[in-house]
Amino acid sequence: MSKEIVTGNEALALGALRAGAKVITGYPGTPSSEVIGYLLSHPELWREKGVHVEWSTNEKVAFEIATGTAWAGQRALATMKMSGLNVAFDSVISIAYSGIKGGLVIYVGDDPGVSAGMAEQDTRGFAFMADLPMLEPCSVKEIYQLVPQAFELSEKTGSPVFLRLTTAVSQSHAAINLKKPYFVPVEREVVLEKDIQKYTKAGPAICMLQHRDLLQRLEKSQETIKEMGLNSLSLSGRKGGLGILASGVSYAYLEEGLHLASQFGLDPESVSVLKVVSVNPFPAEEARALLENSETILVLEELEPYLERFLIVEAQGLGLNRKVVGKLDGTLEKIGDYSVREVVKGISTALGLNIPPELYQGIPAEKLACPRPITVCAGCPHRGTFMAINQAIRKSGLKRDQVMVTGDIGCTILGMNPPFNTVWNEVSMGASIGIAQGYVYAGINSPVIATIGDSTFFHAGIPPLINAIQHRVPLTVIVMDNGWTAMTGMQVNPGTKEELQPEGLRRVDLEKLISGLGVEHFWVVDPYDYPKMTSVILEALRLPQVKVILSRRECAIQALRRKEKAGKVKVIAEKCNLCKACITITGCPALSIGEKTIEIDQALCNGCGLCTFACGYKALEKEAV
Amino acid sequence: MKDATQEVKLPYNVYLVGVGGQGILTIGEIISQAANLQGIPVNFYPTKGMAQRGGFVKAQLRIGKELVGPSIPEKGTHFVLAMERSEALKAVRFLKPGGDFLLWDFVWAPTAVMLGLASYPELKVVKEQVQKALGNLVVVDPSLLPDFEGKPVADNIFLLGIALKRASLGKVVSLTTVEEAVKNRWQRFASRNLYALQAGYELEI
Repeated sequence: MSKEIVTGNEALALGALRAGAKVITGYPGTPSSEVIGYLLSHPELWREKGVHVEWSTNEKVAFEIATGTAWAGQRALATMKMSGLNVAFDSVISIAYSGIKGGLVIYVGDDPGVSAGMAEQDTRGFAFMADLPMLEPCSVKEIYQLVPQAFELSEKTGSPVFLRLTTAVSQSHAAINLKKPYFVPVEREVVLEKDIQKYTKAGPAICMLQHRDLLQRLEKSQETIKEMGLNSLSLSGRKGGLGILASGVSYAYLEEGLHLASQFGLDPESVSVLKVVSVNPFPAEEARALLENSETILVLEELEPYLERFLIVEAQGLGLNRKVVGKLDGTLEKIGDYSVREVVKGISTALGLNIPPELYQGIPAEKLACPRPITVCAGCPHRGTFMAINQAIRKSGLKRDQVMVTGDIGCTILGMNPPFNTVWNEVSMGASIGIAQGYVYAGINSPVIATIGDSTFFHAGIPPLINAIQHRVPLTVIVMDNGWTAMTGMQVNPGTKEELQPEGLRRVDLEKLISGLGVEHFWVVDPYDYPKMTSVILEALRLPQVKVILSRRECAIQALRRKEKAGKVKVIAEKCNLCKACITITGCPALSIGEKTIEIDQALCNGCGLCTFACGYKALEKEAV
Repeated sequence: MKDATQEVKLPYNVYLVGVGGQGILTIGEIISQAANLQGIPVNFYPTKGMAQRGGFVKAQLRIGKELVGPSIPEKGTHFVLAMERSEALKAVRFLKPGGDFLLWDFVWAPTAVMLGLASYPELKVVKEQVQKALGNLVVVDPSLLPDFEGKPVADNIFLLGIALKRASLGKVVSLTTVEEAVKNRWQRFASRNLYALQAGYELEI
């Protein structure tokens, strides 16, 4: 049987289909986006089977949809990155209390080593807080096996189950044997269960009863996980050797690390290994066996030392004084992703081996590389907005460091980088508007601007805007609407043009939505129209109350994919004196310095024409196409 | 292949670096597919980051081991392929002493460098660093890129062809399976890339 190469996220999507998931929802976020992305680009796998797959407005909505399906007795999966789980968590706790009928799996992607920005949040902590089981595979192959088992565990215990992946696993591609058929339906009636005791939180008695049930479900999952054989313990025949507890991707580095250490005095025969897949509940029985068998135990887990603490608690319960090597003794770090290096370092400390660090420390030549800050693409409409904000501030007679411009998540944050240096901060989805309001209340005399992208606005920007309107806060909100959830890889969102929505979906028009909220001053402007955009921002900065500017133009990358170019820009050679203002102001990657004039890479240039406004010598001209 | 893995019981490691848009990830996918066609296990771990936006892109391949951690340890790479001079420096840390280092000496200057606000490394800096890491450096000048039917071929595929001949990669995956992977990927438009691959393979440097 031939194997197919799939990514970790694709394996997760395929595992969910194989498990008969009827509803699969999520909100884009690296490193989790490709589950829904893969399914939406392969509708032939599920559309005819009565399966529903969607990008939801945010993670909380995605999780609630999945819950409704699971309460009706069907299987459902909700996918999100760690920051998204924070958004969904209000509902997660409450639904953990109620429990479920159909299998409910929450896939959450953590990002140790920070490949995509945001926090090195260890989401395992949420599983402990919610008393929900959490499983963590160590490889692409194991993801595919584990998804159906997660659904099985969910249904056997009546509990939602977390499936946690880290970036290195979810983004890896590996060859696996895919089982046919891809989709195996779970033949089951849709149920409507009315049970106030279970599905509401009406009164302390109900809540405390539910809390008791929740704890019982977690305890039950301990037995079920054991029956399913999810964790594995391999004890050395010789007592008193090295014990290793490894979880997630750390386990995948173990063999290499042991091999390396064996060249420096480690006897591989003396090593016992506990591979932890069920992060919660902690496999205490297996951990006790490991403790009994080993003199020293190395704990390999990225980020927080959760399992290490659990292990120490078990050792204390047994009255065993074991040397535990991990983070609490200072050997390994809480920061960054792990590789063979941590395995070797850990073994070296645990056994006092003399493994020279040079063995796994290369030459740090990267410090000689030039910095490469990321900027917006050629033709990006956000470029026009950033340029206009900077220009309007100058024209208003204020200095740039007098005007707070709050930022938000997504491509719009690229305004923090040169050459714009427009945006001051980045917090979380939708935070730009609330934070801007706080700056106003703090008593700043100069205007405050909030910038936010379209998908981010739909996700979490509407409540803070409503708040600002209600409180009549003098604030300029610029919604940068490029029609796509672009930063995470061009996912569709509610505002995407109707003809570009997946078949049968409607567009929710931001223009109608914002004017419907009753903002005092509202403009819709094309960010390619730099003079207009500048004058509108300037006007907004001088007006009282809430002002909203909808800066609207489709993402240039997406438009180009449909062969739509905004125009063509050419250099008038005799007028160009190589003053470089176009590059300094726009930072456009299509512009470079030629021998005598500026040069335009026509393959990259979208013809937006923003550089023509930057040129004081009329050396750049835009032509229509 | 057997030599590369069985001798040390470790995977054959490939580290790819470049700038978003150069086709680094495509090279990784093609090598993965070729390995799979030969029935060799592979783990391919791309780090896209801001791939679309002219940012740093890297990808790691670990070939020949069923269960393997996705990241290559420092000093652990048998073959580095770098498609941009400055970004090449980011791979040196991961090069195994004696490993092959193929540099496509393309300069993609960031805006600050263009404006004279930041410096850009000279080729000799990369040479010195690879030498320090005890690597075998092969530098290919981008002017060597051939045309096919009047238009330059894809540089990433051309480089892959060079790598198969000049680096140990060719002992792990064969030109034939790489050609098959190229055909599978581009179907009837494959001829252009097959030409690029062959031209790289036959290039005399």
